[in-house]
Amino acid sequence: MMVVSSGGEHLLHNGLALLQADAMALSGPVIYQLREKGLEAGALYALCRQIAPIIKSSGSLFMVNERFDIALASGAQGVHLPESSCPVDSIRKAAPGLITGQSVHGPASALTSEKAGIDYLLFGPVFSTPSKEPFGPPQGLEALREVCRSVSIPVFAVGGITPDRACACIENGAYGVAALGSFLDAGTLPETVNRFRSFIPS
Amino acid sequence: MNLPRRFLCVITDERACPVELATMALDGGARMVQLRRKTASGRELYEWAVRIQELCRQREAMFIVNDRLDIALAMHADGVHLGQQDLPAKIARALLGPEAIIGVSVSTPAEAENAGRDGANYIGVGHIFPTFSKDKPSPPLGMASINPIGKAAGLPVIAIGGIETGNIREVMKAGASGIAVISAVCGADHPAAAARELVNKIWQ
Repeated sequence: MMVVSSGGEHLLHNGLALLQADAMALSGPVIYQLREKGLEAGALYALCRQIAPIIKSSGSLFMVNERFDIALASGAQGVHLPESSCPVDSIRKAAPGLITGQSVHGPASALTSEKAGIDYLLFGPVFSTPSKEPFGPPQGLEALREVCRSVSIPVFAVGGITPDRACACIENGAYGVAALGSFLDAGTLPETVNRFRSFIPS
Repeated sequence: MNLPRRFLCVITDERACPVELATMALDGGARMVQLRRKTASGRELYEWAVRIQELCRQREAMFIVNDRLDIALAMHADGVHLGQQDLPAKIARALLGPEAIIGVSVSTPAEAENAGRDGANYIGVGHIFPTFSKDKPSPPLGMASINPIGKAAGLPVIAIGGIETGNIREVMKAGASGIAVISAVCGADHPAAAARELVNKIWQ
């Protein structure tokens, strides 16, 4: 299960990320991707330093979106790259200790990422999402299946993912699912993660 | 890397391809190019940066990336330039190593002192004069600020903000080691000629 931060659409996104980090102590391990494009690097770094130890002590994995420099400096375990990031091999060389994930939008770019040494992929949007902004038009389960078949690294499905849709994603080859909108209320994060888990066949 | 004694730094803007701007700036005698594009993707920045770094190396000029330490690390830039809202200079120093050039924008002696302590190589001080390149709610610092702010950092000052051929001599006399411009070169009809004229004034 991957939890993606609110992306600045939420007025209190700074506070929300902190609350989400705290809630992970109760949810069991997840992958947390901090994706806050609206924050300047200084504020992002301060936030990362604040939440990295909390997230790690819950057993969760902390990924910073794109800025691998901030991931390195704040003690995050990895960096999640957009499809249009700087070349993966240059990042792997500069930050060999980081887990690297990447967003992809089709089988061709999925294969390219895998060959470049990416550890996991995020594919979407599978379904239509209320916040269309991050991921473009929906691609459907068929496209998800195709991407999952084309690579051997884990693929997380994203975009309009709700607990009852998680199962279909896994059946179509996804290793896990990622969601943003379901976690805007940090108070219910642990129970929402559990609902997701109950729909994911193990 | 040591900074030259007197030099022009050209900062790219959104008006043209940064590689073309850099080429013209270097043709005109700029000794430092700063890549600054706030809305570009990581891939675009990386590709521009690799090409500009190569151009700068050929001409023994310095290349620095604005804000994006990740890009600088990925393509081995000569350095980075950091604003007060960007990463702390000491983080950049730790990740880039002792040889990298690190510049920090400051507008007060206190900020300058921090930059000096954090291991910066120079400070960008501005804006000196009124400017339209950036939205600046604060009043211009004026030339008299250059010396005390530079002293607080113990570092060379690159003055920025509204600097043009007509006021360069005074700015250099006020204690600047270098001049950084955006519009004066990027907005000129002939950027290389504009850069050359600025460089000539710096040495007058």
